[in-house]
Order: sequence, then structure tokens, then C-alpha cells
Amino acid sequence: MIEIIGIWVAAFLTLCIYSFLYRDNPFYRFAEHLFVGISVGYGIVIAMHQGIIPLAWVPLSEAMSALWTVITGQATPETINALWGLVKIIPIAIGLLFFARLSPRHTWLIRYPIAILIGFGAGIAIPNELQANIFAQTRGTIAPFAAINAGTLSAWDIFGTILIVIGVICTLIYFFFSMEHRGAISWLSKVGIAFLMVGFGAAFGNTVMGRLALMIHRVGFLIKDWLGTIF
Amino acid sequence: MKRQVPLALCFLFGIVMILTQFVPHKYVQALYKEFIDWGLIISPFALVLAVITLIQTHTTRVRRRTEHWQYSFLVFAGMIIMVCVGVPFGEQDSVFVWLYDNVQVPMDATMFSLLAFFIASAAFRAFRARSFEATLLLVTAMIVMLGNIPIGDLVWNKVMSWTPWADGASGARQWILDVLNSAARRGIILGVSLGVISQSIRIILGIERSYLGGGD
Repeated sequence: MIEIIGIWVAAFLTLCIYSFLYRDNPFYRFAEHLFVGISVGYGIVIAMHQGIIPLAWVPLSEAMSALWTVITGQATPETINALWGLVKIIPIAIGLLFFARLSPRHTWLIRYPIAILIGFGAGIAIPNELQANIFAQTRGTIAPFAAINAGTLSAWDIFGTILIVIGVICTLIYFFFSMEHRGAISWLSKVGIAFLMVGFGAAFGNTVMGRLALMIHRVGFLIKDWLGTIF
Repeated sequence: MKRQVPLALCFLFGIVMILTQFVPHKYVQALYKEFIDWGLIISPFALVLAVITLIQTHTTRVRRRTEHWQYSFLVFAGMIIMVCVGVPFGEQDSVFVWLYDNVQVPMDATMFSLLAFFIASAAFRAFRARSFEATLLLVTAMIVMLGNIPIGDLVWNKVMSWTPWADGASGARQWILDVLNSAARRGIILGVSLGVISQSIRIILGIERSYLGGGD
């Protein structure tokens, strides 16, 4: 029974959203606002149960219990170790500074958590970008030449490998603005634009097909699951 | 205090995060993990602030009776229901899972599928072969779309049987994705990564300060 109610609720909300294809209407606005509320609520729950509770609340409460055992003179090596959880007070205090935004006089305090998070992000990004993107992509571009050298690639694959190298170099030249795009550079840059257009076309084609697949799935749900509960 | 301390904190945490990734010593790795946890603890507070701002916005809408203000109650209702069920009982709770499966997922999928109609009309406007570049975009998108559907292979094998792809449109699509598209994507990724690294260095060194906002 609860499953059928779920199907009817999902079907009603699906039809509410599709009603926008006719024009903006109260049913669409109902689903739209409910969607925002539900999504925000879901985000809060996930942030609590995958961030705050396991990373801050649990270690901190264990540290508080350990502190109590130290105060009462019943400390063991494990409880002393659990005292490290008190360190979590620092990120919690930094996080609480976000709420300084709500007080006009203390708004500037929000710069502290923002600066720390941005510093974190920038510090993590430099080695990761180098390793995951620059080295990996460069290796991926030139590694097939080892296979060419070993004679394991067909003529068609060799053509593809050379085309990739030309494409990568020309695309990078198109994005290289430190010199004027004239003469040979201009031509290479135009080849780069051609590769970019093919890339954008492929991305567009895949996006269209992805959205259509979602639509087919929703229509399939309405026809099979929802109408299946009626007929 | 208002600008110099945040800049110093940004420099300190940025440098520590870089150095800890290059030093494999167990204490340094423990410090790295601890700092990652700090980031994961601090970030949800920003989410809470965003939620407070959303509540303030909708409360203002209700108070001022702006157009469609009644729908703001739905935002509150959705949020309160999810939080009241999810926070005390956990994300595995059957009611929370039911709400996720039968309310959020269908609406999410339908919202994205709605874009199929608008993207089709956008394609109709964009797909005009007015220049060589536009033609390339048009032809590539057509081949990729044809390669995604079974009838595409049938049509391709009838009309374009002279091409080197034995699988028809799906073979051509795969070759475009593996060769031409990956060349363009690699170029973009390399360019973006270099940009991210240079911007990160500017942020850590305090050259880029726009995130501090205006004022003193």
C-alpha cells in the first residue's frame, strides 16, 4: 500500500513539473517550491550525518567523557588518547564564525572561516591538479607512442594518436594569449578552434541524449508504474 | 586584524596543505587527515548560513506579501519535514528513504528531463550551419546523437557505408569521443589546471584578495 502511495505521489509531482511545458501554473510552482525545500532539507541531513556528527560531535563527546574520567581520577591510556577529540573545538569555533554574517557589526569575522577554507582549497588544489590533470593528461597523450614504437597499433590507431597530439597542442595554442595570433600561430589556433567545436558538439549531443534518456525514463514510469496501478 | 589575519591564515593553511601532501611521514599524514576533517567540519556551517539566508528571503516574501508568497510555506514545509525525519532518525530511516525515493528523486529526474524540451528548441536555433565552426558543431552533435540510438547504425550503414567504422554511427560516435573530443578536452583540462594552479598560488601568497570582500 505504502509503495502504491509512493508511486501516486511521484506521478503527481512528475505531472506537476511537466505541466510547465504548457505554461507557468500553480501546479508547477507547487512542485518547484516543494523541490527546493526537500532538497535543502536533504542537504542539511547529509551534512549533519556525514560531516558534523561523525567528524565533530562523536569525537568531541568522547573527549568530554574522557575529560570527566581524568577529572574523577579514573583515567586509562585509552581515555587519555580520546582527549585529542577536544581539538575538534577549533574547527567548530571557526565554523561558528560564519554566523557573524548575521550581525552587521561583526560581519568582518566571516573572513576568517572563508580565508581558511580558501587556503585549504588552494593548498589541496596545487598538488592534485598537477598530479591528476597535468601529468595524467600529458602522459595519456604521449603514452600511445610507446605502443606505436612497439608496433602494436594499427595504422588507423596511429592516425588517431597523432590527431590527439595535434588537437591538444592546437587547443593549447588557441588558449595561449601571451603572443599575438598571427601567421602560423593563427592557423594553428584555428585548428584548435575546430577541435574545440567538435568537443562542444560531442558534449552537446551527449547532453541532449542524456536528457532524452531521463525523459524516456519518466514517461516509462508514468506509463508502466503509475498507469499499472490503475489498469 | 580584519584583513591581515585572514590573509595570514589563508597562507598558513595553504602552505601546510601543500607541504603535507609531499611529506609521507606518519605524523605529517595524520596532520593532513586532521586538517581535511577540519575542512569537512567547517563547510557545513556555511550550508547552515545559506539555509538561514534562504529562510530570511522567504520570510521576507511572506511578510511583504510579494507575488506567489504562499508557495514559500512549501519551502519551509519540505525543509522541516526532511530535517525532522532525517536529523534525529538518520539517513537510513524508512520514512526519510521513502521521501527521498518518492518525492526528491522523481522531481529531480523530471526537472532535468524537462530540459530535453528546452535543449531541443535551443538546438533548433543554434544548429544553423552559418560558419565552418558552426557546421563542425552541428555535424558532430548529429553523429553523437545518431550513435546513441539503434536506428542510427541502420541509417549510417545504408547511407555512409563507405566510412571506416564497422559499427556504423555508434563506431563513428565512439571514435569522435575517443580521439577528437578527448584532444579538445585534454587541451581544456590542461589550460584550466594551469589556471587553477596559478590562481591558487596567487591566493596563498595574498596577491588575489577578492574573497575578502570590500570594506576595511
